[in-house]
Amino acid sequence: MSQKQIDPALIASVVESVMATMGGGSSASAAPASGTAGRSVADYPLGTKRPDMVKSASGLRLADITLEKVVSGEIKFEDVKIRPETLEQQAGIAKSAGRASIASNLKRAAEMTRIPDERVLEMYNALRPYRSTREELLVMASELETKYQATVCAEFVREACEVYGNRDRLKKA
Amino acid sequence: MAKRQKRFEVLEKRAVNKDGFIKEWVDVGLVAMDSPNDPVPSIKIEGGKVAELDGKARKDFDMIDSFIADHCIDVAVAEEAMAMDSNEIARMLVDINVPRKDVVRLSVGMTPAKYVDVLKRLNVVEMMMAMQKLRPRKTPANQAHVTNVKDSPALLAADAAEASYRGFAEIETTVGVGRYAPMNAMCLLIGGQVGRPGTLSQCAVEEALELQMGMRGLTAYAETVSVYGTEQVFVDGDDTPWSKAFLASAYASRGIKMRFTSGTGSEVQMGYAEGKSMLYLEIRCIMIAKGAGVQGLQNGSISCVGVPGSVPSGVRAILGENVATVLNDLEVASGNDQTFTHSPIRNTARMLMQMLPGTDFIFSGYSASPNYDNMFAGSTHDVDDYDDYLVLQRDLQVDGGLNPVDEEGVIAVRNKAVKALQVVFEELRLPPITEEEVEAATYAHGTKDMGDRNMPEDLRAIDAMMAKGTTGLDIVKALSKHGFSDIAECVLGMLKQKVSGDYLQTSAIIDENFEVISAVNQPNDYQGPGTGYRLEGERWELLKNIPQAISPEDI
Amino acid sequence: MNISQEMLKEIILEVVEQMDGETSSSLSATETVAPLNLNEIGPATKGTNKGEVVIGIPPAFGNTMTKTIINIPHNEVLREVKAGIEEEGLTPRLVRVYKTADVAFISHEAAKLSGSGIGIGILSRGTSVIHQEDLPPLQNLELFSQAPLVELETFRNMGRNAAKYAKGETPNPVTVKNDPMARPKYQGLAALLHNKEVELVQQDHPTMELQV
Repeated sequence: MSQKQIDPALIASVVESVMATMGGGSSASAAPASGTAGRSVADYPLGTKRPDMVKSASGLRLADITLEKVVSGEIKFEDVKIRPETLEQQAGIAKSAGRASIASNLKRAAEMTRIPDERVLEMYNALRPYRSTREELLVMASELETKYQATVCAEFVREACEVYGNRDRLKKA
Repeated sequence: MAKRQKRFEVLEKRAVNKDGFIKEWVDVGLVAMDSPNDPVPSIKIEGGKVAELDGKARKDFDMIDSFIADHCIDVAVAEEAMAMDSNEIARMLVDINVPRKDVVRLSVGMTPAKYVDVLKRLNVVEMMMAMQKLRPRKTPANQAHVTNVKDSPALLAADAAEASYRGFAEIETTVGVGRYAPMNAMCLLIGGQVGRPGTLSQCAVEEALELQMGMRGLTAYAETVSVYGTEQVFVDGDDTPWSKAFLASAYASRGIKMRFTSGTGSEVQMGYAEGKSMLYLEIRCIMIAKGAGVQGLQNGSISCVGVPGSVPSGVRAILGENVATVLNDLEVASGNDQTFTHSPIRNTARMLMQMLPGTDFIFSGYSASPNYDNMFAGSTHDVDDYDDYLVLQRDLQVDGGLNPVDEEGVIAVRNKAVKALQVVFEELRLPPITEEEVEAATYAHGTKDMGDRNMPEDLRAIDAMMAKGTTGLDIVKALSKHGFSDIAECVLGMLKQKVSGDYLQTSAIIDENFEVISAVNQPNDYQGPGTGYRLEGERWELLKNIPQAISPEDI
Repeated sequence: MNISQEMLKEIILEVVEQMDGETSSSLSATETVAPLNLNEIGPATKGTNKGEVVIGIPPAFGNTMTKTIINIPHNEVLREVKAGIEEEGLTPRLVRVYKTADVAFISHEAAKLSGSGIGIGILSRGTSVIHQEDLPPLQNLELFSQAPLVELETFRNMGRNAAKYAKGETPNPVTVKNDPMARPKYQGLAALLHNKEVELVQQDHPTMELQV
């Protein structure tokens, strides 16, 4: 639909480059060399086979998330959220198990971890039929790209925008 | 007729004659799996893109054609798969010498019309064979509905506990009154962990609210994310393939397992089937799910089962759609979750199509509440059928995912679940669960044994709880504070699944040690006798020992 | 679509004859009801009266279809819903929605046109929803999804509860009936009826105000 078709290789390269930039700012993911490619079926389930790899969004290991710490208030809900690196690893596992489309979904998901709950819900609603004008969707795509470094999601929204336009499913301006 | 033939008089009173049967009406798509309006399979690839799909040029694509062409079909295998004789592919589906992966490889190259052309060559036994071989997870499992007509929280928690204790790997609730959703979700989360640690729970409601509950950790997975096979019906469902795919990624981004839902008959039920067969349209739904990258799909007609159920070959089409799902390498939660007939004979025959080969979830809602309390409008089998189902497993040596249990054990888990819920209500300042409710729910058959609650008061408290931002961690704390540390650990264990993401993979379930079992670490390797899942050893010992069997030593 | 009126009638009769006739409606399946001749005043606009509840109906209602799936005549349906609203001291308004035959969107449209923000949508076969303007279309205040279980009394209660929501109260929801056997008996027929309903949908036609 759009000029750039969703080419898996392209996605992989874009994601890797974005992840590399992302990694720069966070000590937890300073070396995302593995990214997708490093993980395979052999590492699965990560929670039991590679607990060393798994950290929550705030950098806690699974073993650090204990009942005691929850009760004492040391662990907050934010501490039990998935981080993008883990979704990338799961994408790699899905891909090595022959499931490319799941891998693509998990890569979009990895990007979306950076978007707050409220905004994710709003964006979903904005993609429903007749909710948004062409301009509104394009602005949303830019926001995904610039504010959340969600390039794959942005491309996906642009593609939707084009299809909605062709099929008359945009909000009448 | 002046004089009636007596046998006919008897026959017309039989249960089956209370069912509605409709003759095929091809123009509007009241036809199961072979409509003259279905397109002829075709594909054209130009410049690495699908240029023509089932006789339609790209410029004429509707939304669904576009999504399937650009996100589902793999142009690298499309020409090869489409050039193959449909008979040959159909035979590969049932041939034990062809490994699963060889068939699945071709599936991403087939168009919707090609699927129909392949599937219509299989009879139901062949379809069952295909299911046995193509189901992604080696071990079959089962899902239960837990609901009640009063949205009674105590009863929901007790029923959830019994359901998971009886072996259901997933439990699903919905609401009588919409605003009860978060409370119902909580009841299943807690009750489910009491019955058997690791049980996955969900609450089926409107899309945005369902996602919100998942984000808050009140549910472990989601399923009621519906997709449809014609553009008009999709839009009437207030979504598009892109919004639904975005939603799928949103779930994954919060580490929440999810699958889509679709089913034959929904398009004609909603009046826009464009004259196409129910199966053809359902294949389009399956391919949307595949393209969106969700790990699985609930289908098997589901809430529209009365529609395929009323036309010729409809029940075969339902099995056909389940097979098409696993052929797409998707987890299948294969229906059997909605009343479809008055006839017990017809009812069980329909269910055997999934139980005998085994699917990822044989029922996408065995009713673990009595059917009069089933807010999905009833399931094919309910709590009163437990023993029949257990005996069927034993008779046929088939694992249907249900465990024999004793009465004391059931009473114990029901009671504990309601008491655990009681302390959480207290801590979260929800209207109290009384001692009478604990007692009633422990021993209840259904809501006929439960008193009424003050609904407006419940609803106000639920709104306040949601406004306050209560999460799964608040439940963990409440349980721990009041002496339910074991259940608190389990609820926390479920929340931690969302950190590792292992259960986002295809066909994932979680065992009592919180180990994930999925198509990745336990792929189906069926290739004929002696391979694949076999009901034997410890599991067979468990299933064959129903409490009512007489032991020779006792006489 | 070239199915004739006669053919359809035949199919419906065949289905209806297989039913065991234990419905509580006042008519038999074969009795016909005359069309209601509801007068259109003009395109419907957003009301300003906070004391009104808008009832939305699809194009076929009271027109090519005149009774619900359990044979309640459409004039009685409207009479009861209106009576329920009036009992609470509020005013009913009636609109015909042309652009969809989907009960969620019809009721949401009614709610958006309603001065109180509360609307009711009723399909020809009886499926109904009470809606509020600021909810997403597929959410609702109350849903009566199984048409065969929506009885005359249900319509009265529906009107009453809608009026209560409009007054800002939190009423006890109308008791939701649940009959697991409604589906096997009626769903095929409901699909037939809905396809009939959809035939009259005109996507670009505005919603029309009807004389009450």
